[in-house]
Amino acid sequence: MPDFECRLKKFRQLKDMTQEQLAAQVGVRRETIMRLEKAQYNPSLKLAIDISRAVDAPIEEIFIFE
Amino acid sequence: MKKKKAAALIIAGVVFLVLLLASSWYSVTFNESRLVVPINLSEYTFRMKDLPMICSVSLFCLYIIYLSVLLIKAILKNKMGENSMKYTRNLNPKLGYLGFLGFAGFLGFWTYHLNQNFSAFVFFLFFGFFGFYYEGRMSNTLMDERYKENRLKATVKSYQISTAIIFLALIILGQGRAMISLDFTLIAFVVVVTLALALQLFLSQYLLYCYDHSEPSEESEE
Repeated sequence: MPDFECRLKKFRQLKDMTQEQLAAQVGVRRETIMRLEKAQYNPSLKLAIDISRAVDAPIEEIFIFE
Repeated sequence: MKKKKAAALIIAGVVFLVLLLASSWYSVTFNESRLVVPINLSEYTFRMKDLPMICSVSLFCLYIIYLSVLLIKAILKNKMGENSMKYTRNLNPKLGYLGFLGFAGFLGFWTYHLNQNFSAFVFFLFFGFFGFYYEGRMSNTLMDERYKENRLKATVKSYQISTAIIFLALIILGQGRAMISLDFTLIAFVVVVTLALALQLFLSQYLLYCYDHSEPSEESEE
């Protein structure tokens, strides 16, 4: 299990997006977004950048590694 | 493959098979069953009456070779296209029932008893087709990075398990003391290796399905 905090849900809701919409925008399944929000999946750098661009927030604020 | 080409291939196959049967009948009826029953090729001398059998067998062999070439070309084409595929292939989970064909492997006991032939044991490999059930349940799934990661994990795990089984079998059976005779050792080895390969085929799909479906503690859409 990846050991990090994920604030994707907060940023996604700020942009008023559903998991489905975000998933379609970054080219993954909704289940992947769901697991990301629960910090159960460690994304690749490319996906992290795509998500950061989609929700207009810096990567380091979305994924916080201690 | 276009329908016309497929139909032509089937018709050609049926025609060549009929020719083979007809020439076999001709050989049995008018040519002392030459080239139908096993012969010593070093003592073979050509007769005009052998010509139908030679022609039909040659045609049938060419047909089989052509089919094999088509099959290899199709496999290579699929492999090349796999990288650009975004979704998993559409498959009916009922194809998993093909796994029951694995029970045909038990025919090996019968054929061995009949003529010491144990090649039928390899039919145990068909047990691996049970994996089609899980592959079918994941039909048309977007292959995102998490899917690819899970697929890799499942493939590696299944290979680890099957390799460990084969390795253990090799060590235990290779000593030759576990069985009564060398024949039984060989049979046991063929059975174990075949079952291990079937397990690998099945596990790669089953584990992928498990990894993909069992991770989240709760599913929610907000």
